Parts: sequence; structure tokens; C-alpha cells
Amino acid sequence: MLKKTFLSAAIAMTVAAGAQAAAIPEEVIQNSFYPYKNEVPSVQGLQPGMTINQSNVDQFKDALDPGMYRFVKNGDTEITVGETTSYDLHPSYVEATRQYSADVQLGEGYGELSPTVAGRPFPQEPSMDDPRAGEKLAWNYKYGYNWGDSAAIMPFYWTMRDMDSGKKERTIKFNFHFLNFTHRTSQEPYPKIEPNPSELFRGIYVQVLEPFDVKDTQLLIHRFEDDTKVDNAYLYLGFQRRVRRLSTGQTTDAFLGTDVMIEDFEGYNGRISDMKWNYKGTRYMLMPFFNHNDLQLDSETHQDEDGYQVVAFGGKGGCFPNITWQLRKVYEVESVPVDENHPISKRTHFMDAQTFTIPRTVVYDRKGEMWKNWVIGQAHPDHHLPANKGTGVAIDDAFTMIDSQAQHCTTGQFKGIVDPELSPVDKFSVQNMRASGR
Amino acid sequence: MSKTITTTFSHLAVGVAAALGTGLAVPALAAETTWAGYVENATYFRDGVGLSKFRNTGQAQFETVFESDSLRSLKLNGTLRGTYDGVYDLNDSEFGKDATEAYLGASWHGQDTSTGLLAPGVPFPCENDPTLCNNLDGYMDHKERDAKFPDFNDQLDFIRELYLSADKELSNGDVLSVRLGKQQVVWGKTDLFRVLDVINPVDYSRHNIYDELEDIRIPQWMLKMEWRMGANEVLDDSNLSLVWNFDKFRPNNLGTCGQSYRILDAGCFFSSNLLGVPIIHDVEEPSWSLKNTQLGMKWEGVYGDTTFSLNALTYRQQLPSLHFRPNTDPLFPAPFAADGVFDIKFPRVNLLGGSIDYYSMDMDAVWRLELAYTEGEEMPRDTDGHKETDMLRYVIGFDKNIIIPELGTRSAFLFSTQLFGEHILDHEADMPNDEDNWIATMLFKGFYKNNRLSPQIIVAHDFAAKSTVIAPSVSWTPDNHWMFNVGLNVKTGGNETFPWSAAAALGADTSGQTEPLARFTNGPIGVANQEDEIQFTVRYSF
Repeated sequence: MLKKTFLSAAIAMTVAAGAQAAAIPEEVIQNSFYPYKNEVPSVQGLQPGMTINQSNVDQFKDALDPGMYRFVKNGDTEITVGETTSYDLHPSYVEATRQYSADVQLGEGYGELSPTVAGRPFPQEPSMDDPRAGEKLAWNYKYGYNWGDSAAIMPFYWTMRDMDSGKKERTIKFNFHFLNFTHRTSQEPYPKIEPNPSELFRGIYVQVLEPFDVKDTQLLIHRFEDDTKVDNAYLYLGFQRRVRRLSTGQTTDAFLGTDVMIEDFEGYNGRISDMKWNYKGTRYMLMPFFNHNDLQLDSETHQDEDGYQVVAFGGKGGCFPNITWQLRKVYEVESVPVDENHPISKRTHFMDAQTFTIPRTVVYDRKGEMWKNWVIGQAHPDHHLPANKGTGVAIDDAFTMIDSQAQHCTTGQFKGIVDPELSPVDKFSVQNMRASGR
Repeated sequence: MSKTITTTFSHLAVGVAAALGTGLAVPALAAETTWAGYVENATYFRDGVGLSKFRNTGQAQFETVFESDSLRSLKLNGTLRGTYDGVYDLNDSEFGKDATEAYLGASWHGQDTSTGLLAPGVPFPCENDPTLCNNLDGYMDHKERDAKFPDFNDQLDFIRELYLSADKELSNGDVLSVRLGKQQVVWGKTDLFRVLDVINPVDYSRHNIYDELEDIRIPQWMLKMEWRMGANEVLDDSNLSLVWNFDKFRPNNLGTCGQSYRILDAGCFFSSNLLGVPIIHDVEEPSWSLKNTQLGMKWEGVYGDTTFSLNALTYRQQLPSLHFRPNTDPLFPAPFAADGVFDIKFPRVNLLGGSIDYYSMDMDAVWRLELAYTEGEEMPRDTDGHKETDMLRYVIGFDKNIIIPELGTRSAFLFSTQLFGEHILDHEADMPNDEDNWIATMLFKGFYKNNRLSPQIIVAHDFAAKSTVIAPSVSWTPDNHWMFNVGLNVKTGGNETFPWSAAAALGADTSGQTEPLARFTNGPIGVANQEDEIQFTVRYSF
């Protein structure tokens, strides 16, 4: 705790000392980062503790996205309503926004942005009159605090399920690691790691632990600061013992046979310039935000010496996380692939206005019909592992990707840890893949 | 699912600390061991022959991770494998110590003058012919029991791998890594054939070229050291590695005569006779000595969209080289020695090479290039059996993922093609290998039902041999434990002949012969032209 406090103070001083940009109005900052400071949203008849099910879902249709509405209406799941709580991001990120975001500008083309250092690029409230508002929100997501400067999910269970029979087909056990090379605010060094000759923005490193046939498979994604540049992706196959480059065709493919594309990771895991972003409005909706420690957890899937247990699943086919949902301010943003051969026609993202995570996304197939629903449950860091307390990271804690057309889903159960020691820079290197393999 | 066991290793901790000189002060190391593995049955049927493989394999691998304050990581890894191939009990008329052939090479070609001069190969010579067994001592001298239980031998091959690895972070952030023990060290990124991936020899007797190299590389006792420098002002990643193979030299296992897979049918040629004289007089396997160990160095890195490596290796040729033994006995009426025509040698080879992978944004595809230049290799030749020549080998690979909705899946298909090239710099007309030859391979793999159903087709074509293999297969993985695979392996070719001077001299036949040189012309695909198979595999993983 002392270390975190020290780091926060250090970044605040560093940021202050290096400040060049004009100050951004404090009202904008407060509105963007603390939307529930003065009051929480409400919908008539909706109360914390109540359950939304088939019988009353129509009453709350406007507070639900079309995917969740359909599931509840069909009786596939029920929604337990929790209290709206503030997920305050780390003060260093807020401070970086104050100092660096006032003069951030979009470039002429998609995926172009004036140089940024750290923080939320566009903290201002989006406007329906702004034709590029959706793009700005996408940048806020890309440079969002998300997992903070680095974090790990160790372990991470992905289970493929038949939604009709409820049969668990396969469970893959992973470790995931995330690291921001730039736009850092809370973990040394900040605002960037050097040397960084290719100007990487972010690394994602994935290692498969089980089952045997895919054990030791590793995935490394390098995303560049230059958004117009395609990610570099590398795959290590355990049975081949070698690293191979991936073409991006594989990032829109079913990752290891799951219902999730690499492009789906965290809500959207691609370039801003790969999509046309359209802001569709601000809404107050039920979103999967909860306190992990207050849930009835899954005592079977994972046990460890910390006594940590992962989120349990239920509902039709075991495809729905047993979590609570809270009413939150949401930006609805549509992303349409630029590539005509992309396997989807569009995604509708429901971005959480406070955290700029993407806990809900509805995916439409090339015919424009609803195909998949992507739920990423966000746990409050202060009600999770002790190590996460005070980190200001909305902890991705449970996911489900439901393929409504195939009646199939992939569920995810996390142990997310915000600890820089778990994700050192050299873990995000090609050589680490060779060394970590057999 | 793997199993995890937490234990405490006090004695081992002291040993590890001493071995690595890391000054571990703790009297005991808490350790967590994870086990995983599988049992598998592979049953293959060969057209016209019947059962060709009834291989039952059990493999277990473990990883013990030690806690250490002074090292980034400290691990002990091991892989144990036991195999029983029942084909020698279930189809002993075709394979095994009693499986004689009508003539040499009957498994892949017809008869001609050469087969009249050369006797049929003696199956498992150490079961049938003490002289041949003595001549082949150390190589191709397996008994039938060795073929049935290939992992249980004097080299302790049931220990597929056993190595200790440690990473130490240096004060400047670089990482020094050491891996010591029996292991596989993989250079290169090719399928089916190898260009740079030559540190470990290969056991082709398991299933010719078609098993994963992971399963057929012969692990060696080696020391691998890496200096991971990470990013610098120019490169995104930089790494220097040193490999010292201090194990006793082992050549590729080509399959003893009598086994169901013997690449190039070399095993039967080596256990043959020419007019009553053994083909092989002696196998000169390098004994263990410091100067006979093998050493490699690789520098690799990432520069923008390009990953690259530069490789250097001094090693031993893993394929046998035949050295002709001229007759020195005036009373013996033949140009070759009376006690054996050839000695087998494994010359020292020096390799320089490199590799580049480049991602093309425009094509959304990956290009791969590997190149290896060697000096000291000996290639087969009619005159003297061999000639030393410099060699250039290379492969150009192209990998792309393609979504083809018309094929009924939203998953991308993997399309991977490779063109292997080989250039003999000091080529001679009496070499059965062309001065330049190419082999093209293609893999097309699809995924259905959440990757649990995966059809694929592999095609390879050897241009000089005019031979082709087509291997379609479908695997079904219903859950985390079971995997079922059914496949076909169909080959064409094997029709090339090459003149043999002995046939001209002894049989007055100057036309092309099938034996012994055309085996090289026809290559591993063409020589196996009669080995069309349907293959079933079932595996249970834990």
C-alpha cells in the first residue's frame, strides 16, 4: 500500500513538472471521471436487490441492451440488480488527463491522433452533433485505464459450452498478461518504457496451461502507437516448438476454437482505423458491475492458497455469469468494419462512461442479424483480491460470449491481479515465447 | 487435466544452487510439480500388406517450478515416453526378424540387373547374421525387440527430456538463461523437412517424415545458454544463444531392415550383400571426445515487421556417408574389398545460415525464408560412394489465414505452403541427386465445431523424384481428453532409375538401375510409393 501511495505521488509530481498543455476545465474532469459523485441514475421501478426476469423485463426494456433483453425475455437468464457504485480510476490517470488532454486532436483520417502522452484523450461529453464523436470514444477506450499499466490474469478459465444441453465441451486454462509500453501513469517507468524502437503501445501475452493438446500454446500481440500500423502477432505452438508470425486473418478467427475472436479481447482488440465508429447516444443501462467478494462464487473450478474462487455461471446452458448488474451511464457506439470481408457487419458497444471499459457488446453477422453477445463483468477492485485494492482498475472478472445462432457459448472465469511484477517487459518478447515453451 | 503436486526439495535445492553457482542460501526450495500426458494407439493399415503399425504410446511430462529469491525462474522439466509397437507380433510375415523380401527393394520397385547383383536385405541382421550385425555395430543394428520397444534401449530413450533451466536477471535488466540436460533445441520453422532445425537427429523409423518433429527428434544431452538482451534503440528484441551438444553423437535413425518404416529403404541396403560381400564393412561412429561434441550459436531479433536469426553450427552429418573400400587383395576378383564394400562415416559439417519472417500488410500474410550453407557434407555418388561438397539449402514459406464462408465455417482456414530448395555446389554427373532440386509442400487446414473437428490435407511433391504424397485427415476432439484421427497417406512416384557402375561392370547393363543409387533420386516420398495407408489414431490426454 505504501508503495502504491508513493508511486501515485511520484506520477503526480512528474506529470505536474512536465506539464505543457493548457489546463482542461475541472468540471469536465469531474463529469468524466466521477459521474456518480452527486447522484446515481435511476429508472422508475428499478431497485437494488430486485430481479428482472421474463415477467417484468418489458418494464425495463430501455435499461437493457437488445441482447440481454432478448435473453431475459426468452427466460435464458435473470438479472439481479445491484447498487450503482463509483469505480474511481487511479488518480494518476485522472491527473494525466488534466495535464495532457486539453489539446488532443483527431487527425484527418481514421486512426490518426495528435501526439498524446497519457490519460483520457477526450474527456469532454460526446455530442450527437459531432460526426467523429464515436471515434473519440474509441480512442478513450484504447487509451483507457482498462487493466492499468500492467496486469495479469492467472489463471483464466475458458469453457466452451453447448447452450442447449449445458454440456461443457472443453475448458482451456490460460495465463494472460497485459503491459502498456506507453501512456503509463501509475507503475514505473512512466509515461513510457524505453527503449521502444518500434513505438509499441501495448503488449498482450497469452499462455495456455491446459489441456494437453494445446498446452504451451502462446500468443503475443504487439500493438503500435501508430494506429494505422497492423498489430504484430506471434503464435507459439507447443507441439511444434516454434514461433510463427500470424496474419491478421487469425485475429478475426475463433481463438483456439472458442466463440471469441482475438479481436474481441477486452471488448475490442484491434486498430481504431479498422472500424468506422458511430456514436449512437448516451444511455443509462444495467451493466455487469459488481463486488466479487459479495457474490456466490464457484467453489469447484479453481482453488488456491489465497482462498480465491472464481465467478460462478448459471442460466441457460451455464452461459450466464451469476453476478449483479448496476444502472450506469453508458455510451452506445457502433463499430463497422472497414474491410468488406470481415466476418461481422457491425458491433454495438456499450461503453461504460466512467471507466471506458466495454462490458457489453452485441455482434451482428454479415447479414446484419444478431450473432453474438459479449459480456465482460467488471468487479470493483476494492472488493476483490487484497492486491487489487486501491489500484483503480475495473477488474475484468467474468465473461461470456454467446453465439445465439449456434446456441453455443464460451465463458471466462478470471483471477485478475494488478501487480507489475507479474508482467515484466521481457515477458512481451518473442524470445520469451521460445523460452517459456518446451 | 494436469495434476499439481507441491513438495519441498531440500537436497535438490543445494545441488541446483551449487550447479548454477547462484548462491542460493535457502536450505530448502518449495516446489510445485505439474504432470500431464497421454496414452495413444496408432493403428495403420498398408495397402497390400495389412497392418503396418500398431503403436501404443504412453507419455508423461512434468514441470517442477522451484521458488528462488535469486533467480527469475528455476525449473526442472522432464518427458518420459514408453512405446510398444505390436505390428511385429501381429503381422510378423511382413515385418520383423523373419520378414524376408524376394529381392532387395521389393517394397518399392521391380527387379532389374541391380537386384540380381545385390542380395535381399537381411531383416534385423543382429537376429539373423552375426557378421552383418558385427559390421553394423552401433548403427542399424537393432533387434526386433528394439523395434517393438523403441524407447527402452541403452541410450535411455524413454527419457525423452530431462533438463534443468534457470533464468537470472542481470543488473542492466538483461536475462541470462541456462538450460542443461537432455533436450530438443529447435532452430527453424519448417514442416516435414528441415533446413536449420538440425541440432537434434531424427528418428524416421517411427513414421518416416510424417510425425511431428517434436515426437521424432532424438533428444540430446546439451547445454543451452541465452543472453536475452531485449529491446535496444534499433531492435525490438535481441537474443544471443549458445548450444553445446556434449552428448555422444547419434545419427538419424533410418529404420533397420525388417521395420515397417525405413526411409529410403536404407536399412535393407545396408544389410544386403553384393556377390556375397557385405555392403557395409564398418560403421565409424565418432566416439565421445571433446572434439567430437557439437557447438552452435544463434543471434536472433525482431526489427519492425521482421524477425530474423543468424545461425552457425559445427556438427556431424546425421545421414550416413558411404566410403568405398577398394580391393587390396590380388586374389579377390572384384574391385571392392572382400570383407565389405563400404564403411559408413559421419563427417564433420559446418553450417552458416539464417532466417527471416516478414509480415506483409498488403497481403495479410507471412513470408518465411530459411537458408543454410554447409561445408563438409558428403553426398552419395556412384564413384567412391560419396563426394564432399558444399551445400545450399533453403525454404521459402508462405502462411495465410483465409475465411471461406462457402466451406461452411466462420473459422479461417490455414493455408501454408513451402518450397524447399537444395543446391549441390560441387555436383558430379554420377550423383543420384540433381544439382538443384525442389520439394513443394502445402497444408490446408480447416476448423469446424469450435475447432473440435478439423479436416486437413497435406500435399508434398518432389520435383526431381516426380513423386507426390497426399495426406488428407480429419481429427475429432470431443472434449479435453479424447482425440480421434483418421487419415490417408497416399504416395506416387518411385519410378526413377540411376545408372550403377557395378551393374555395368558386372552385369553389362548400362541402363538405369533401381538399386542402390536410385533410392536417393526417388527420395523419401518416391521410395515409399508402395506405402499407401489408412491410419487411425486415438489418444487420451490427462
